Order: sequence, then structure tokens, then C-alpha cells
Amino acid sequence: MAPVVSVESLRKRYRRRDPWAVDGVTFALEPGQAFGLLGPNGSGKTSVVKMIAGLLRPDGGDISLFGSKPGDPAARAQLGFAPEDPDFPKFLRAGEVLDYFASLLGLDEDDRKRRIPETLAFAGLDQERRQVRQFSKGMKQRLGIAQAILGRPKLLILDEPTADLDPLGRRDVRALIESLKASGVAILLNSHLLSEVELVCDTVAILAKGHVLKEGTMAEVVPEGRTLEDVFVELVEASSTKRDQLPSFISEKEQL
Amino acid sequence: MNGTVAVARYTLLELSRRRILLVFFLVGAGGIVLLGIFLKIANTLTTGGSGSQSLNGATSLDPAQMSQLLEAVFVTYLLGALGIFALLIAFAIGMTTIYHDLESGTAVSLFSKPISRLAYTIGKISAAVAALVLVVGVLGIEALLAMLLFGGGLESALTAEVLAVVANTVVVMLIVLALSTWMNNIIAAVVAFIYYDVVSSLVVTIHNLTHQGVIDNGFLRAVFDVLYWVVPHQLTSSATGDIARTEIQLTGGTAADASQALATIPPASGAGDILWWALVVLVFSSLVYLAVRRRQV
Repeated sequence: MAPVVSVESLRKRYRRRDPWAVDGVTFALEPGQAFGLLGPNGSGKTSVVKMIAGLLRPDGGDISLFGSKPGDPAARAQLGFAPEDPDFPKFLRAGEVLDYFASLLGLDEDDRKRRIPETLAFAGLDQERRQVRQFSKGMKQRLGIAQAILGRPKLLILDEPTADLDPLGRRDVRALIESLKASGVAILLNSHLLSEVELVCDTVAILAKGHVLKEGTMAEVVPEGRTLEDVFVELVEASSTKRDQLPSFISEKEQL
Repeated sequence: MNGTVAVARYTLLELSRRRILLVFFLVGAGGIVLLGIFLKIANTLTTGGSGSQSLNGATSLDPAQMSQLLEAVFVTYLLGALGIFALLIAFAIGMTTIYHDLESGTAVSLFSKPISRLAYTIGKISAAVAALVLVVGVLGIEALLAMLLFGGGLESALTAEVLAVVANTVVVMLIVLALSTWMNNIIAAVVAFIYYDVVSSLVVTIHNLTHQGVIDNGFLRAVFDVLYWVVPHQLTSSATGDIARTEIQLTGGTAADASQALATIPPASGAGDILWWALVVLVFSSLVYLAVRRRQV
């Protein structure tokens, strides 16, 4: 089966003197597969997904998105991207934002009439009449996921999709991922919530300082009797200088 | 094409909800009405609705002439006010139209959709220009209607000046749009103001003075001949000359007075200036596109 997206020796750095933010990352994702990209803060996860979405230019390596370059609008038409910390035109309402993005996706009138109310209802924003500038972070995150699924993508990239969601929202996103996977949609999930990744992903890659430390199916990466969190902590700590202990003043006893 | 239309449509919707634009528009519209009413009352009080008025104790004006003179004064103030408000509106649109998309996470969601950066830029520029033309156009129509309070007569001068103001502010707005894709929007506005309203105006003024013989220096003339075609220069209408001519005629000035006064007023822009304006618009629109295209979000 041809991969939906394949990434080969991907490299990226933001300034010439900076270390590589992404260095030699390689993976491929097939239809119906859920791939978890894990890593500590600053490990390069968001840079990788932004390069796949055509938002950042790689400094090296290759990306094939539906057999094309990520800059190709036809390839991006099959992609849904829910960014971390999403934002939208702040004077528009949720329905207007979705209508705007539906126009960019080239959805016809019938599709819009059906999909926009249903997507708004899924995101819990169907009764919301305020403009985006008055939304909470959680509401923006819901809208971010809503716009990502609106075009019924073949590849859905979710960058920290549940970071600002309440437990109910997290449950909805998990159900969404399961449902999309079952219908053949490939999912690329960036998340710190390892228990969630363990529940929904078939394969994972653990990144640190732009390098892939370990990659494989969940069974290959997580040995019997251990959790993904155990493996993650062990790998990441081994690859980096040990973090300082708690600040000394924290453990000082209060003078009475 | 659909993407461009969608970007333009929703950008216009957003602009229509920005309070700062509404405030500028309302203050401008209110100012024009108040200025007209104030001068009309002044006209009624000074002429008492009939009889003649003495100007500087020399020329006697009948009520119709007084009304014409007040109209000329009104249009002079109006042109100044219109220019200022058009500039404020151009800055308000230019500072926000693309900058907010790029600086917030909006661009991330937008650019991951199947729209090219060219289509996005065309949509944004079209919406910005349409909004500017609409707002300044409405202010211009209001000014034309207010002028009828005085009987009219300078409509063509005012119309030509409104067109020139719109054309000039489109250039300022494009400069702000282009700069705001590289830097903070407030700094972009300051740089655009210095470049367009200070440096360019200075170059054009000195260029005109060298050609009118006020500055008689061959070297300066050569330098400013070159600079004139390097900076964007504002289009001018015949309005200033028409108003001055009307005022001179009403106050009984001689033909010699008129020609001397009119010699210092820049002539209306010709075809060369208009072509240069079109080229400047194309250049700055291209710069906006290049900046948007190379921007990583």
C-alpha cells in the first residue's frame, strides 16, 4: 500500500548557528495507521509536522505527501491539520471560520450545508454566537480540530490536540481518532499525553533533540510489563544531560 | 480563484467589524457634515442672506459670490480632512490585514489548506483596496453632497481630488502591508510614513522647486530629477489650482496675480505620473507577495 506521507532524512534548523531542530528524521505512514510522534519540549515534533503541512521549508531530506511535495495545493487538499495553540480570524464567528475554510477546501454548497453544522455540533460550538476573539483556548482548540476534519482528510495531523481540552473533549478526540482510523484515515499524532498515545496509536517514534531515538510498532517499542511512559523517560533521559533537581529553596523548612 | 474570493470575502467581513475603522469613518463623516454646517451658518450670518459684503474693504461680494467663496474655503478644508482620514484608514487597514494572520496562529490553519500564497495575497490586497475605496468613496460622496449646501460648482475638482487621494493612499497601504510582513506593524507604519510622507514628499517638493526656478542649481536639479523617479510620488489633481483660481476671481484679482499664484501650485498629474503610480502599485504588491511566499509560519 502506498504511504500517505513519507519523510526521508528530514533536517531543519532555524538559524545557521543554531543546532538542528530536526536531524535525519525518517518515517512513513499508511492509510488507516495512527502514528504517534513523541518527544520532550523542543524535540522537533512540531517542526516535523509543519514541514509535512508545507508551512516550514526543510533544509534537507525529502517529504512525499500523497506522492507530491507538501507545497502542492492538491496534496494539501487531502490533509487536515489541527495545530497546537490554533488561532483564527478574530472578528469571525465559528460558523464563518468553517465556511471560510470550506471555501478554501473547495467544498460545494450541499457539502457545506451538511458538514458545517455537524462539525460545529461535534466541536460543541453550534450554539456559540461570539466572535473568535472572545473564545477560550479550549474553544479555539475545538475549532482547530473542527476545521481539520471539515474536508474529510485522508491524513489528519493533530499537534497536541488535547492540551487545552477538558476530559470530555479528550474523550471526544479519542473517539474521533478511532472512528477516522477505522474508515482508513491516517493519523499523525503529536502528544505529551503518553497514556492517550498508547491507547490510539499503532506505531510511535520517540524524538529528542531532533533525532529519532526509537521507532516501531507499540509492541516493539514498549516491552511486555512496561509502559510507554517508562520507555519514553528512560530514552529521553539517556539522551540528554540530567535535569537539575528541585531548586534548593523549595525544600527549606519554614522558620517559625 | 475560489480561494482568492474566499480570502477577499472574509477579509472584508473582518474589516467591516473592526472598530478602529468604524471610528475613523464616523469621525470623518461627522467632521465633513459639521464643517459644512458651520460654514453655511457663517455664510448666513455674514451675508444675512442678502446684500453685499466687503472683503478687505476693497471688493464687494454679493451673496452668491460669498457663497461661492465659502464653498471654495469649504472644499479646501475638506480636501485636507479627507486626505488625513484616508491616510488613517489606509494605515489601519494596512497594519492589520495580513499582519494579524501571520502573527497569530491563523496563517498556520490557513496555509495548510489548499490555497497558494499567491491566491491568498491577491485576496488580501483586493479586500484591503476594496475596503479603502469604499470608505474613502463614501466620505467623498458625502463631501459632494455637503458641497451642494453652497450651490456647488467645484464638483469636478473634488471628484478628481478624491480619486487622487484614493490612489495615493492605496500606495501607502501597500507599503505598510509589505513592511508588516517583515516587521512589527507599528514600526512598519512609522517606516512607511517616513518613507512616503516625509522622504518622498520632500523629494517631490524639491524637484518641483528646481523646475519652477525657485532653486537655481544644476546639480540639485539633476539629483532630484533622478530621485523623483526613484520614490513613489503622490498623484495630484487640478483641485488646488481650480480652487485658487476661483478665489482669485471672486476677490477681484488680476490675471497677472492669478498666473503668479498658480505658478507655485503643482500641476495635475499627467499620464507619465499615472503610469508610474501603476508601476509602484505593481512593485509593492509583488513585494507583499514575495514576503508572504517566503514566510514560514
